[in-house]
Amino acid sequence: MTEKSWTEIQALAVKAATGAAVPPAQALAFGAMATRHLADGGSEAPLSEALNDSGTIVDLAHQIEAVIETASVSEQPVRVSEPDTGRRALLISWLASLPCQAETNATSAEIRVRLSLTDPSARTRPARVHIGTALFDQMQDLAARTYVPDSEASRASGAGAGLMDLD
Amino acid sequence: MRLARMGAMMPTRLSFLRVLVRRLCAERAAIKRAHWNMSPDGHGRAVYSVDLGGHTYSLVAISNDLPADQRSDRVIATAWDAAFVLYDGTPDVDEIDRIAAQAPLQEAGRFSPKDLVLSRANKSVRMWDATVAALKSGKQPDAAMIREIGYLMRTTAVYGNGKFGIADRHLIETRDGLSGPFAAEMLAVYMIRHFTLDLVAHVGGAPLEPKLARHFGVGNATGLGMAPFLVTHPVLFNNWMLARETAFARVRTLDDLSAAKRASIVALGARAARHLSEWHVPAPDHDAILRDLEGEWAGFLPHLETLNGPSPIETLWQAAQNESVPLQELLLALLIEAFPDEVDGLTDCMGDPFGPLTTPFAGTDALRMAIEADWRWALEKDYEDPAMCRRFWYVSEAKLEPRLGDRFADNGAELETPLDIARRVAALHTDLPAQDQSVSSFLTDHPEHAHASARIAVLARYPYAEIRDNLIAATCRPIDMLRCKLSFFGATKFDPKFDLWTRITLAQGAPLGNELSPEADDWWLPVLA
Repeated sequence: MTEKSWTEIQALAVKAATGAAVPPAQALAFGAMATRHLADGGSEAPLSEALNDSGTIVDLAHQIEAVIETASVSEQPVRVSEPDTGRRALLISWLASLPCQAETNATSAEIRVRLSLTDPSARTRPARVHIGTALFDQMQDLAARTYVPDSEASRASGAGAGLMDLD
Repeated sequence: MRLARMGAMMPTRLSFLRVLVRRLCAERAAIKRAHWNMSPDGHGRAVYSVDLGGHTYSLVAISNDLPADQRSDRVIATAWDAAFVLYDGTPDVDEIDRIAAQAPLQEAGRFSPKDLVLSRANKSVRMWDATVAALKSGKQPDAAMIREIGYLMRTTAVYGNGKFGIADRHLIETRDGLSGPFAAEMLAVYMIRHFTLDLVAHVGGAPLEPKLARHFGVGNATGLGMAPFLVTHPVLFNNWMLARETAFARVRTLDDLSAAKRASIVALGARAARHLSEWHVPAPDHDAILRDLEGEWAGFLPHLETLNGPSPIETLWQAAQNESVPLQELLLALLIEAFPDEVDGLTDCMGDPFGPLTTPFAGTDALRMAIEADWRWALEKDYEDPAMCRRFWYVSEAKLEPRLGDRFADNGAELETPLDIARRVAALHTDLPAQDQSVSSFLTDHPEHAHASARIAVLARYPYAEIRDNLIAATCRPIDMLRCKLSFFGATKFDPKFDLWTRITLAQGAPLGNELSPEADDWWLPVLA
């Protein structure tokens, strides 16, 4: 187990999802969800499984998109059926990670959610987020797939490039 | 906002360093030296503290003996003349020891939530050596050299918001004085400037004259790493631009200017002219732009003396429509500067504490209408044309920093960072179905369009959220994005190196650490008389 800042975990989770071939918007949302999930003490297993199957992350993103659409035209709570325990936990964390207010009630196979799309979330974030070594390593390995080896051309584009002067 | 205008922006009284110093002035804050253990040649540790908004913040400075052959502004450097941490509170000896062990390691170190900002700096050896030599011989450094260089040390990175374990921004964003964008980073920069002035006086054995000390800022070298931020933080970018545009809209509607106000505008115009005359850069093409602006501004100055008629500011602005974009940007900054009562309250609206609070489109027809209303500029381009897609942004393996590649010459385009917003929106527009359907069902079939869909929703609510240019075009100049962001930081004396990175100066002309009072908030485009 190691502890990181919120920003470190979120940035790493976005890169990991990107490295797992998740499209950009869904990877960004996954990063926010994963950090919220870990900060709230959620199980790491479903995060790890989702990163092993990028289709899961895309499917979850679609479920959330549909919830938001429904909530935008109805003041009634939106019902989401999700029998799988792990996916249900991730959906709850995903809803909790939205910028807007989200009230959720979960039963054994269903989540009831009420969204206030234009009201900001009031959830607090901790100073440190704990993450297990195995998940952290998995995320780092996936994130590494998104990096491009430096070329001479790329090195020439960084600050300070081309100069070794004393000014 | 277009890149061409972003690339000509000037610092304003909305700029973050200016806001921070104004707050310090309002509180009549004073920087106190709490710890000083320096060798005669200026190597050792120092701690400075300042009270702001009911909290105490401390800068821990570690000054090293850096061999000349290791001094580099590159982000890939591993050693620097000085390393800094802005600390939350007053560090005890154990905390100073911890920071002294970690700060010189920079990215390879590990930090705590008590550490708010991490930075490092290299000396301008020419300016440093000349200043020390002058002070040791009982003289003051040459004013012309100070005008030319403008700083004793130049930061090569200023890290905030959770990097390497330092505090996340959300831990401090509600604090008085640090709630604005990059406020903690600006406080660190301001205190680093104070340290450099103290250090040179220590090594030189005599203090600088305040007038000269005031004209020393902190240099900075900034590369591509900063540019994508404006794209990846669309709500924040919107809020910066919205504050600027709202400020200027308020000023444009003003009427019946007092004689004192008219005189202040004329005086600011003259100061801007002197500032331009002191601003020279080595790159011939960029210096030519400055010299053109200097001449153009001299020709425009008489307009500032004819503000007696109706709608004087609007009339002045209309006169500037025949002038260059750099002149317009200079004039806009001047006019914002002249009206603090109309402008300063807007700085409370420049953060983004919530993230995008968007509402979904009713269906794909509504999505199409939004694209055709707001994104016409993105639809008019042929992204199959190599000139329209030559660039690609990526993250380098060596330093995890953003870089820019040539799609047709470099490897790695398949790992492109999604900053190609215009191209993505155009592609989404092409794939929209003829028959209206829900956006979520459309995205189920086309998950690759979710990013563009989200950006369209953001722009529908936040009108300044997008740079309205093709950021992968061969003609895209990252330096324009850097200029925009750095102007919001409050940078002056932009000194571009190629089109990819720039040197700047921060805090030049700012009141010194013992001069912080409300009347000292008058240092826009400083000059050394």
